[in-house]
Amino acid sequence: MTFTVVVPRAVAAPLAAALLAAASPFSARAADIAAGEQKAQACAACHGASGNSANPAVPSLAGQPAQFIATQLVMFREGQRKDAQMSPMAAGLTNTDLNNIAAYFAAQKLSPPKHSTTAANAEAGPRLTQQYNCTQCHGPGLLGQQHIPRLAGQQMEYLRTQLRGFKASTRFDMDGQMTSAAQALTEADIAVLADYLSGLK
Amino acid sequence: MANCAGSDQSHKGPARPGWAFVAVLLTAQAWAQTPPAAAPSWQQGRSAEQAKSTLHPFAPHLTGRASSELPLDKLKVPAGFKIEVWAEGVPEARSLALGDKGTVFVSNRNLTNVYAIVDNGGKREVKKLLTGMKTPNGIAFSKGTLYVAERHRITRYDGIENNLDAAPEAKVVIDNLDPSQQPGHFWKYLAMGPDGKLYFNVGAPGNIVLPNYNQATVQRVDPNTGILETVAHGVRNSVGMDWHPATKQLWFTNHARDWISDDLPNDTLHRLSRKNMHFGYPFCHQGDLPDPEYGKGRSCKEFDAPAAKLGPHIAPLGMRFYTGRMFPAEYRNSLFIAMHGSWNRSTKHGYNVMRVTVDGTGKVTGMKPFLEGFLTDDKGDPPMWGRPVDLLVMRDGAMLVSDDYNGIIYRISYKK
Repeated sequence: MTFTVVVPRAVAAPLAAALLAAASPFSARAADIAAGEQKAQACAACHGASGNSANPAVPSLAGQPAQFIATQLVMFREGQRKDAQMSPMAAGLTNTDLNNIAAYFAAQKLSPPKHSTTAANAEAGPRLTQQYNCTQCHGPGLLGQQHIPRLAGQQMEYLRTQLRGFKASTRFDMDGQMTSAAQALTEADIAVLADYLSGLK
Repeated sequence: MANCAGSDQSHKGPARPGWAFVAVLLTAQAWAQTPPAAAPSWQQGRSAEQAKSTLHPFAPHLTGRASSELPLDKLKVPAGFKIEVWAEGVPEARSLALGDKGTVFVSNRNLTNVYAIVDNGGKREVKKLLTGMKTPNGIAFSKGTLYVAERHRITRYDGIENNLDAAPEAKVVIDNLDPSQQPGHFWKYLAMGPDGKLYFNVGAPGNIVLPNYNQATVQRVDPNTGILETVAHGVRNSVGMDWHPATKQLWFTNHARDWISDDLPNDTLHRLSRKNMHFGYPFCHQGDLPDPEYGKGRSCKEFDAPAAKLGPHIAPLGMRFYTGRMFPAEYRNSLFIAMHGSWNRSTKHGYNVMRVTVDGTGKVTGMKPFLEGFLTDDKGDPPMWGRPVDLLVMRDGAMLVSDDYNGIIYRISYKK
């Protein structure tokens, strides 16, 4: 059966114009941290000053790898990762904006939350991060690399929500890596990991 | 198998076909959420010891990177050739296609766009032509029409170069190419053959798995009739195709399986001298290496051999025979191949464009690097700062090279 399908074009004209401007050849610029700081003012309400979140459900962005931040923002903007707060925040940003914002947050110093991991979880945590191969991609110190996020010192509730989402296959996942890795986690494992990682400096 | 209960129930639903259909959908959805997710396809086939391996594929910078922050001076081409940035700000630039009026079309794989780049008096403008597509990796242009291969279908856009600011409606050439939402290699390369048919790959649904009858093939569809045929079997994943300018035979690149060893098997180059050749996957790799698992009880003699071994894990993607007149005469009909890897070996190689020479009988006579310099640290993570994906011979004879890691397109030219 042959039928005609309309493929949506760029949705809003101003957005299209903005994207086009960003995509023009020879206009791409090296990431500009000062411009990123300017744009990141809008992020502070939830993600905290300098990207250090005080809200257990909202991730800290300070000290995250730039490629991780830029990649997630693209996915929010393009609708592949969906979130009621983040999708509209990312909608109007150009690629240059995203690179600048990513460079700004990557350059900030993380002040980990005042979180004390329980003694039992501090002992079990390293064992679980080995067992579930967390360190293979997130690095030996769980500090992240390239498009892979830093986990050490992240907000606990946020970590728990993401791990539950990966296990339920509801959290966006570009290569299926985390969805697969989270399948073997029990709810108890998730609690241990979130508590351990959040307290990790 | 507990999961089968779901599909059994759908047969007991109300007799009205519409409702039965809804019931099948609902149970299929419930079923889809029950089993735990499989390992990512790039990890599939690892041995127990390899489960701790830190080797992994590299993700592109999806926002693109500015050429001003990249070590362009490391790029090396043979004497007399020159390489320059032709366009940047083309995030995740994958496949390339050339329009009759000179428009360069560029596709995405992780992102969802097809771009059109036009030359406005020396100033290049990048337009987002199509958006919201599903893995639109394959693009081909022929006689005024742009064809796009998404993971599940091929569409056509007639008279596209007259409508670059308001793309015409998509017309479906063929649909339902991905009924099982296959994991693994679901993106497609697309090329227009000299026979007027569109050629594309349907990859294997994992690293090393038994494909179904439709997978691990090269297929072609006649855009006028929608008739689909398989032309090659046993092809794990081909993401580059072209026809020899003199013999008109189809040549294509192929990615062999991972996780055997650093040095085996080789990725391969193939020549299709007759329809329905079988190149061995998953039973035999590189023409002479039986698979440790699927090769048991089989022989590589059952299958057709590749035209050349290209190197282990080197990930050959786009390939073009050089038909232009700008490069020296000995380059005519040479084959250029973009190497996107390697990631699945402890010491990295590749990340270059190779030149392969082929004699009149279709025999590969030599192979040497043409463009190098992206690979800067063979033990690094990442080891490279750019990755060639596809090639395009322009009307003036210059060659474009796309780089999805940075969203940049380079131009290689020659002057005596």
